[in-house]
Amino acid sequence: MESRVRLLEVKGLKKFFPIRRGILQREVGQVRAVDDVTFYVEKGETLSLVGESGCGKTTTSRCILRAIKATAGQILFRPEDGSVVDVATLPKAQLRPLRRQMQMIFQDPFSSLNPRRTLLDIVAEPLVANRIGNRRDQLDRVAELLRLVGLRPEYMRRYPHAFSGGQRQRIGIARALALNPSLIVADEPVSALDVSVQAQILNLMLALQERLGLTYLFVAHDLSVVKHVSDRVAVMYVGRLVEMTDTQRLFATPRHPYTEALLSAVPVPDPRWRSKRIVLEGEVADPANPPSGCYFHPRCRYAVEACRTETPQLAEIQPGHYVSCHRAGELHLKGIVA
Amino acid sequence: MATESNTEPAILSVRDLKTYFFPDEGTVRAVDGVSFDLYPKKTLGIVGESGCGKSVTARSILRIVERPGKIVSGQILLQRKSGNGGGGVADLVRLDPSSPEMRLIRGGEIGLVFQEPMTSFSPVHTIGNQIIETVQLHMRVGPKEARERAIEMLRLVGIPKPERRVDEYAFELSGGLRQRAMIAMALSCGPRILIADEPTTALDVTTQAQILDLMRQLQEQEGMTIILITHNLGVVAEMCDTVVVMYLGRVVEQGPVDAIFHAPKHPYTRALLRSIPSIHATTRTTLPTIAGSIPHPYNRPTGCPFHPRCPEVLRGVCDAGEPELQSFAAGHDVSCFLYGKP
Repeated sequence: MESRVRLLEVKGLKKFFPIRRGILQREVGQVRAVDDVTFYVEKGETLSLVGESGCGKTTTSRCILRAIKATAGQILFRPEDGSVVDVATLPKAQLRPLRRQMQMIFQDPFSSLNPRRTLLDIVAEPLVANRIGNRRDQLDRVAELLRLVGLRPEYMRRYPHAFSGGQRQRIGIARALALNPSLIVADEPVSALDVSVQAQILNLMLALQERLGLTYLFVAHDLSVVKHVSDRVAVMYVGRLVEMTDTQRLFATPRHPYTEALLSAVPVPDPRWRSKRIVLEGEVADPANPPSGCYFHPRCRYAVEACRTETPQLAEIQPGHYVSCHRAGELHLKGIVA
Repeated sequence: MATESNTEPAILSVRDLKTYFFPDEGTVRAVDGVSFDLYPKKTLGIVGESGCGKSVTARSILRIVERPGKIVSGQILLQRKSGNGGGGVADLVRLDPSSPEMRLIRGGEIGLVFQEPMTSFSPVHTIGNQIIETVQLHMRVGPKEARERAIEMLRLVGIPKPERRVDEYAFELSGGLRQRAMIAMALSCGPRILIADEPTTALDVTTQAQILDLMRQLQEQEGMTIILITHNLGVVAEMCDTVVVMYLGRVVEQGPVDAIFHAPKHPYTRALLRSIPSIHATTRTTLPTIAGSIPHPYNRPTGCPFHPRCPEVLRGVCDAGEPELQSFAAGHDVSCFLYGKP
């Protein structure tokens, strides 16, 4: 594990959105959507970014894909030739070859496919846009991709409306795989699906990863799903990374109070587990007007004076276990016992 | 039917309810023979995946099924509130949806919480105004008292500074607060039954935990009976006393929560429970799945609606006739040919 290549390294990533008011559209403040986030993804692994709405997980993933430009920080990506490029500052012209290697799977399979185009058009689009192969080759490639994701190639002349949610998500995956990417960013890929279909898509994603050596950055809020697919997990709260470590350790021995509360809030499908949970008071902090010190302190049951005044930094308290909490060393938090 | 050791009679009994939709393309049997009993101060969960008819069941009870939908047959027997000429049993199916009596029941005796609090509130009226309107419709009170009642309700559901929030619009509230306001509105006229249709689906887990906590606490305080409609089996395990599992408009299994989770009988219930990733399971294992996908309502399979996906299908039996819901143990009913002949 130690010697694995870091396919992606994000260092001090910041993305602030301006708040504008009045006829002059003067900037009156900033939403600190992503505020100094640092993490890495190793080749062939799945790192999950988890957190609640507004924590900046989607903004982070969009910065990585350069769908939006980061305010500050580095996003170091290693393309197949072994070089290292900073996606955050790369000029637009040089982005295109890089985009082939980073693809995205979207949340909503109903709005992410154009209803007026056939499966063939949809899945072949990345090939056409990048001028790969002639029409024949593209047809063969689409057939191969559809088979890969468990759809019959005969379906390629049909339109998305003929398919169920799960099948549409398979189409989205086929499109993402068309250019043989190394990194796949999956933003809530199963949250719009029914439970029985969700399992099929998760299994497919795991199988494809093994077969094609893919690296996943998995953005999700459902911790049961995250536990199921990830090698490592990074927890975000109001634009900051609060904890990152491997999946087993995060779920068994969380070291950040927010992680503990988050784990305990997940409803377990077993009536014997009732009412053994921590219910957090209050609301998620406003990223436009975050509290002083640790952003979590107003809701934290372990908060002390230092938490109110000093912002904790992300520190490696054990090899591979990163936490940003003043009291990480002394607290004994409850995880999930298997 | 569920003959539990309940001393109190059921507050609401649904008997063989059929709600069909008649669009131009053909008939959709959204709810196709659903029966269950709701006991006072208990929480009944209705679970199932999309298209199983759980929301249409709720809408049928409140008689707010939209056209081209229609209740075709069945009974919805509500034990009426005693006093002011009430008492006795009313069959909601026989009432005119827009009759004064039905309007009194809707909101006054049965409250509803929708899934999406953003779209269920009017964006151009303050939440206070909307609650005040409900209160004035159902209770004989003046505007000032109604406003006080609204503030009191907002306080009851844990909204901070209710006297200020009452004059805010839905968009000014966060998702969790909005859902609390929705619950406040549903409870403002003191209904005995609360129907919550996916009340926490649009919320984050920590907010979800808060709302579930609130519902439990209100149930204790006000002695409320709850019908909780959800696809989330975790939420069901957490909240419910009895569970109704639906698939394509039919009840496939119903029983006490422990029986459903620890000794499920119907192959669909079993498969559903196996296919959800558990926070207690080991990571990166292949999940057992249910083959295929939910059929389109126009192509409903013949016989048992689950038979094309069922791992224990009996050829020649399951595809021929529809199984009836029959008692398996006290209060535990299954509709499957594995447990006895039709």
